[in-house]
Amino acid sequence: MGSPIVQVSHLDKYFGRLHVLKDISLEVPERQVVCLIGRSGSGKSTLLRCLNFLEEPSQGSIEVDGIKVAGGERGREHRQLVHDIRLKTGMVFQEFNLFPHMTVLDNVIEAPVIVKGMDRKAAIELAEQNLDSVGMLFKKDEYPMRLSGGQKQRVAIARALTMEPRVMLFDEPTSALDPELIGEVLNVMKKVALEGMTMLVVTHEMGFAREVADRVIVMAEGELIEDATPEDLFKAPKDPRTKALIDRYRSGEQ
Amino acid sequence: MNLFASKESGAPKTQAELLFAAAQRKERTFRFNVALTWGILLLLLVYLFSGPIKVDAEFIRENMLFIAGGVGETIRISILSIILATLLALLAALGRLSTFPPIYALSTFYVSLIRGTPLYLQIMFFFLALPQLNIRLPGLWAGVIALGLNYGAYMSEIFRAGLASVGKGQREAAAALGMTPGQTMTRVILPQALRFAIPPTGNEFIAMTKDSALVSATGFVHELMWRAVKVGRAQFHNLEALIMAAIFYWIMTIILSYIQNMIEARLSKGDR
Repeated sequence: MGSPIVQVSHLDKYFGRLHVLKDISLEVPERQVVCLIGRSGSGKSTLLRCLNFLEEPSQGSIEVDGIKVAGGERGREHRQLVHDIRLKTGMVFQEFNLFPHMTVLDNVIEAPVIVKGMDRKAAIELAEQNLDSVGMLFKKDEYPMRLSGGQKQRVAIARALTMEPRVMLFDEPTSALDPELIGEVLNVMKKVALEGMTMLVVTHEMGFAREVADRVIVMAEGELIEDATPEDLFKAPKDPRTKALIDRYRSGEQ
Repeated sequence: MNLFASKESGAPKTQAELLFAAAQRKERTFRFNVALTWGILLLLLVYLFSGPIKVDAEFIRENMLFIAGGVGETIRISILSIILATLLALLAALGRLSTFPPIYALSTFYVSLIRGTPLYLQIMFFFLALPQLNIRLPGLWAGVIALGLNYGAYMSEIFRAGLASVGKGQREAAAALGMTPGQTMTRVILPQALRFAIPPTGNEFIAMTKDSALVSATGFVHELMWRAVKVGRAQFHNLEALIMAAIFYWIMTIILSYIQNMIEARLSKGDR
């Protein structure tokens, strides 16, 4: 494993008086797939959203691929750094958040053309390549409204990939899906992982964590309480809260 | 097209088909009866004015063209005013989103002042009060500004609702893709908000064609209402003149409502 591509240092986040992230430090090497698990309210989504500054950290710093941004700052320079870090990261949301007034293809080429100033033709070529790899090229001229949840999420993944990010962030990408549609999205994510993308995935899908992740981090009450390979974690959880989480998953499995 | 029509005739009808046919029949009967009653009411009106209520047919014939000549002016005022109103409404709605206090204040101040005073007063203000300050606007423009300012204030709520209809997730997706707030607004939020705002804006336009009659009170704009009052008063045939103007307004609104319905149907079946 190389040097860390994501580096979180002493991150704190408050929502009003609520201390939701407590002095988090974390390093993710390139090409690693990290799953963040934990009960709702544990701070895992907030941590993920701090990485691309959808949530502004209260304190501490985030570094992605050499761009280091301190939390809690303001001003033009800070905004530029946030912009730079967002270009390094792609994000996939629970609710897909495709643009409903644009076709699938327009959704995917919008940011490369508008934000990166990519040539339209080149953007379309890249977009079609990525849509093909998530199995959605055949719907490129449809509007999102006419797609199933699983299809929307696959388009959202292609949209994020077409910005050519260094790190992909997934915020509960399958939580809004009907059970029978979860598999197709997880398969696409697995494919992205196998192609060597660095990934941070907030998820409840323990099966995915066990099979695809290189590393599983468990969060509770705004802290990282356990950080291990999936084998170690599922075989011998150290923290009782991790054990409870895994037991619940096992009982749901049968 | 129709699932049920495509079936072979003669094939036994299922329960669902029978129920569907019955529902369609009921719907057709209802519509027919509504149309019939409309026809009767219209005939009744025509009868009233051709017998029991005496109207001067000669006067109507002589002044028909003069009054009809106001339709164009009424439409012109309405179109110019709705354009101004739409711009102001959009600015006021965006102002309400501003975190910069003076902008936010300006927007709420404008809406409060305009909504807190009568339209009639505002129109008079631009025609009669401004000249006292040596500001003389051409009649048409005074009317357009008054109507535009007034409708803009009310319509800002439409645009506010339109902007609010676009979920937070859309902003977050745009931000995560690296779009600036300006790009997010123009490429993602506004196209969706405007689409949402088109049908109610159409309603406002129809209302405005009628409110434009108030501008006639100033005597400077020779639209439909002004013309009707002018010839009606001069020859003491107000009854005929106002009835004629009413018919023109009514036909205009029916046509505009029809167009409005078509636009709405198109938007709703479109790609949303």
